[in-house]
Amino acid sequence: MHRYRLCFSKEGELKYISHLELQRTFFRALRRAGIPLVYSGGFNPQPRLVFAAPLAVGIEGRNEYLDIYLQQYRQERELEEIINRELPAGLAVKNVLEVQPGEPSLPSVVQAALYVVSFDAVPEKLEAAVKGLLSSGSVMVDRKGGKMGKEKKRVDIRTYIYDLKLVKEGAESRLYMLLATGSRGGARPDEVLGLLPVKGESRPAVFRREIFVYSAGKLVSPAGKSPVYTSIQESNSSGK
Amino acid sequence: MGMVKKMGKKASILFNGGLLGKVNRPSRYLGSEFNAVFKSPDQVKVHLVLAFPDLYEVGMSHLGTKILYALANSLPYVYAERVFAPAADMEALLREKDIPLFSLESRTPLSRFDLVGFTLQYELNYTSILNMLHLGGIPMRGEERKQQHPLVIGGGPLALNPEPLAPFLDLFVLGDGEEVLLELLQLYRDWKESGARKEEFLAGAAGIAGVYVPSFYIPRYRGGRFVSLERKEEHAPAIVERRIVSDLDSAFYPRSFIVPYLDIVHDRAILELFRGCPQGCRFCQAGFVYRPMRERSPERLKELAVCIMESTGYEELSLSSLSSSDYSGIEELITLLEEEFAGKQVRLSLPSLKADPFAVKLAARIQGGISGGITFAPEAGTQRLRDIINKRATEDDILSAACDAIEAGRNHLKLYFMLGLPGEKEEDLAGIVELCSRIAAAGRKRSGRGRPLRTTVSVSTFVPKAHTPFQWEPQLDLTEVRRRQEYLRRQFQSLKNVQLTWHQPGMSYLEAVFARGDRRLAAVLEEAHARGSRLDAWSDHFDFQLWEKAFHERGIDPHWYARSSPGYGEPLPWEHLQAGVTRDFLACEHKLAMKGEVTPDCREAQCAGCGLKKCPLAGR
Ligand code: SF4
Repeated sequence: MHRYRLCFSKEGELKYISHLELQRTFFRALRRAGIPLVYSGGFNPQPRLVFAAPLAVGIEGRNEYLDIYLQQYRQERELEEIINRELPAGLAVKNVLEVQPGEPSLPSVVQAALYVVSFDAVPEKLEAAVKGLLSSGSVMVDRKGGKMGKEKKRVDIRTYIYDLKLVKEGAESRLYMLLATGSRGGARPDEVLGLLPVKGESRPAVFRREIFVYSAGKLVSPAGKSPVYTSIQESNSSGK
Repeated sequence: MGMVKKMGKKASILFNGGLLGKVNRPSRYLGSEFNAVFKSPDQVKVHLVLAFPDLYEVGMSHLGTKILYALANSLPYVYAERVFAPAADMEALLREKDIPLFSLESRTPLSRFDLVGFTLQYELNYTSILNMLHLGGIPMRGEERKQQHPLVIGGGPLALNPEPLAPFLDLFVLGDGEEVLLELLQLYRDWKESGARKEEFLAGAAGIAGVYVPSFYIPRYRGGRFVSLERKEEHAPAIVERRIVSDLDSAFYPRSFIVPYLDIVHDRAILELFRGCPQGCRFCQAGFVYRPMRERSPERLKELAVCIMESTGYEELSLSSLSSSDYSGIEELITLLEEEFAGKQVRLSLPSLKADPFAVKLAARIQGGISGGITFAPEAGTQRLRDIINKRATEDDILSAACDAIEAGRNHLKLYFMLGLPGEKEEDLAGIVELCSRIAAAGRKRSGRGRPLRTTVSVSTFVPKAHTPFQWEPQLDLTEVRRRQEYLRRQFQSLKNVQLTWHQPGMSYLEAVFARGDRRLAAVLEEAHARGSRLDAWSDHFDFQLWEKAFHERGIDPHWYARSSPGYGEPLPWEHLQAGVTRDFLACEHKLAMKGEVTPDCREAQCAGCGLKKCPLAGR
């Protein structure tokens, strides 16, 4: 069995497809590409496609990750090429890396994600609100919980907000948000935005720049190599 | 696949900002699915939009639309796009932002197309047709449309009695669309180049076999009853006959399908094994209006299957038709496909099974005999009533088919029945209960393996349809339908692991009104639409009181339509449109039904003489 990690982007209008739809879209693209996937047994065999972290509808992803398992060895470059031919516009594989089958699964090691929010004009009082958020000891939000998501829970997400930074880039301003993500808990970008004075007619555009896993005490990209996360500013210059 | 620049400027505000994120399932509206066709609308001569008057999930599952989309786009001078009924939240957004309903691919407002072609599948979609025209910026009535407006056409099974829609659509295509569509598109291209008036196009179209132009005819009524159809134009044919593609094997079939993002109703590749059905169940319109049974060859089907599976990446292939196990080469085909797809993780499925041991064996074979659901349609609870409707499966067939399926390890059984069939008595309802309880008991006896058998019993209300032997039968009165449903509900309470579901009686009632409707009902459609009716096939939209008010407002008695039982000699509002089966044959079948006598399958014994010209099964 061979395991490959795909780094892909989900951009433009494809931000409107849900995680489930994305899974199906990849599955069928891989089948069209004639890639010998490994399937589970049973009446309804399923391929093993393991995504790092689901992306909410409406958010673009620049560097998303997916592990696929193949019955045979294939060259990384060849895989990248044949998969890209089968993807609808808006989805693209940027890089393929062979990974040892024994390595821990992607979702189990995902630790954080870097989101970028763009504004044409910086909303009034945003800077102060960001500072205020970072200096408060607890940040409470409402979450749906219970059966059918009908109950409300109050949750403190302060520990999940690793960093926030407002940066002016040319004509537009960007808010960078490094948020905990994954099975050990996290905060969603809309939860944080909901606490900031950014409401308007249309919601600000948000994209997820990068996903990070923990390795030797550092936040690093699941693709093993760069970028290593040290601060928002730095990852900013290494990213796209 | 090069994306062509999207045209609709207004629609783009939905996609560019975050607006589309406000609606449910936004991927319904993207139009960028794999295998969607992109052409530049200014580079073609005929710009057509195939409109399906229901949600994306339903419309994208429809085989006919897939065939016509691929066929029309295979012509270099044509660009065919898609549009579906928007869900309520999307409609609200379109209205709020003043955006006209647009096609999925190039996002062109409907009003800017040359042709808008609606699929007519289900009576409860009629107000969605009006709504889509309205949202698309097209006047709903044909007579209000000017030269610059699109021509609005309709096709599908209900085109054989389209009278309630007559004022809204410019023409109807009767029967198989593969050949007629090409002829219409050519005619349209030549007419557009000539710059002639709309009336001239319609006159030309009326000359194409299978094309019905309703504005050339005026229905006459006397004493509230339809008496005759008068021709306004000499060149309009007195009778329009259904088009039949006689050689299905060489007929066009798509080599790829669009692969939706969404999990649609039938999210799989579809192979149409044959068209028509040999059985002749007397309530079933499809059984009469798709005659004769015409098969594709196993070799052709295999070749198509290979292309379709490779170009879609689908993991399931449905061997589809009205009664798939009746396909003469079914075992050969399954063997061919199993060889072809060995090791490729392709699941075969049979959507419509007869309740007979052969069909069960087939199903067990292609699904490895492992769990999963299986569906049978006994339709009626006793042999007497099954004889009336010409459903020739016997009680033993049904029981042994169910038992075989249970033994093979199935843990979900679905059974379809109809309530209110002509001649139905209390004993027939008791028969449904009896049959289901015997099946459930067989499920309990299953030697301790697996989960307990779940049985779902679905009971729909009989709807008399035009062009069937039961077109002379009334629908059961609504209060009586409710009473009989209540009886079943009480009886089923004591059956463990059996779940009873039924269609909303009001929906079936409305279906019956329009299924044998005439042109006077158009006013009711307008009224209901104005009162907010749309997407009525969905119970969260359907509002019976709204319809009652609409009928009342327009002074039309729906009861008269649903309950009418005309005599054999009485003129019927759809008889100028012929499916190919003679009125005498339908009447004869009706009389046989009343006597409880059956008519054999078209492939068994001899031809029953339905009157079809050029039937390959007759005269053998
Ligand atoms: S002509 Fe005879 S064999 Fe052909 S469809 Fe009619 S009844 Fe069946």
